[in-house]
Amino acid sequence: MKLEAKEISFRYQTGSRQILNKFSLEIDSREQVGLIAPSGFGKTTFCKILAGYERPDGGSILLDGRPLEEFGSYCPVQMIWQHPELSVNPKRRMKTVLEEGDRITRDIIRGLGIEEDWLNRFPAELSGGELQRFCIARALGERTRFLLADEITTMLDLITQSQIWQFLLEETRRREIGLLVVSHSRPLINRICTRKVEMEPWT
Amino acid sequence: MKINRRTKTIGWLLLSAVFLVTVTLWGCFWREEALITDFSRKNLPPCREYPFGTDFMGRDMFVRTIAGLSLSIRLGILTAAASAVFAGILGICGAVLGKAADSFVTFLIDLVMGIPHILLLILISYACGKGFFGVVVGITLTHWTSLARLLRGEVLQLKNSQYIQIASRLGMGKLQIAAKHMVCHLLPQFFTGLILLFPHAILHEASITFLGFGLSPEDAAMGVILSESMKYLATGKWWLALFPGGLLTITVLLFHVLGDSVCKLLDPGSAHE
Repeated sequence: MKLEAKEISFRYQTGSRQILNKFSLEIDSREQVGLIAPSGFGKTTFCKILAGYERPDGGSILLDGRPLEEFGSYCPVQMIWQHPELSVNPKRRMKTVLEEGDRITRDIIRGLGIEEDWLNRFPAELSGGELQRFCIARALGERTRFLLADEITTMLDLITQSQIWQFLLEETRRREIGLLVVSHSRPLINRICTRKVEMEPWT
Repeated sequence: MKINRRTKTIGWLLLSAVFLVTVTLWGCFWREEALITDFSRKNLPPCREYPFGTDFMGRDMFVRTIAGLSLSIRLGILTAAASAVFAGILGICGAVLGKAADSFVTFLIDLVMGIPHILLLILISYACGKGFFGVVVGITLTHWTSLARLLRGEVLQLKNSQYIQIASRLGMGKLQIAAKHMVCHLLPQFFTGLILLFPHAILHEASITFLGFGLSPEDAAMGVILSESMKYLATGKWWLALFPGGLLTITVLLFHVLGDSVCKLLDPGSAHE
């Protein structure tokens, strides 16, 4: 499968600054692509457009040549956000997080090191790293074909980082899920990705 | 043993709830008795037999006060509930049904809030023929605004929150999101708002009845009792106003305590205090 972003242009209504200008990217479901850019270059915005959270002002997102809307209510392009504590409802227990999308297999839960007694806790009772594991698991439903990881391990220690990436790489390679890794960290991208793309300032 | 704040809050909650329920039921039971006149015992100051004294028609003021409070509480519950439901429907419609609906609801809120409360209340009550019906309609139509504004804001904020956007990309439908993600945030707000509406409703009922635009004079209502007592205050019959007024204040305060306690208990942020 192939995920294509064709000449994406975007600006937020509230600010007049053009965030993306005719930015194009192609990802195959068998590759791991790293996206590098300094802060404020629109990496997160680009991910949001790729996963269908925002509509671009110009250009199109195609999955195997078809627009994302044709794939039904579950979006095959899933994004994992930088801040896990904003990605879960603070008033619901953690086990409900895993029931929001597709069924999540035991292997995924075990592979991410999610412990049984975390399931009955509220988000405020877990650390950021523990929450992020839930968010990663939730995004790995059966119908997921592409995964966008937006700075997902920035807040974690190195050992946990390597555990999570090892699992993610194994899982995405086995299921042929395309991976887009957004990060400031060049060493991380050099180790994980088969290809890297730098966002150029367009001005 | 050290009593933590949670236990104390539950204590206050139970105390106020028991007081309010007792007064309400007791008053229902005494509805007829509050109207009994006996001129052989008129204008008695508080004594052992009549703790709140008697009035110019020889009616037992204690019985009248309890019956009046009961009527006020029942009226307060009815109007607060109607008002809160109204607020819930309009607030949520405003936030969910798009721009046109939202500006209409905001316009309605501004309109009602822009006119002084008591004036609008008197106008509506008068237009509906005063009495019980007029008071209920009047209070319901004037008290929904602040809660509606609160709920509208909450829904708007929830709609833009990250986890709800994520849920929709995970294939959850609008109804599912509302039931699973929004209700748990809105219900505590709704109930707290509902309970905090009671004291307002009760005080406004008493004030428009006092001014003569509310319940009819033959009802044993707080407003009627207080306005009648006004005529006798200057002649030294202080007990006619002091006890009913004091009990009304206590009732209103207890409703406030009740609302505050429920608010504290429903907010998980205060669980460890």
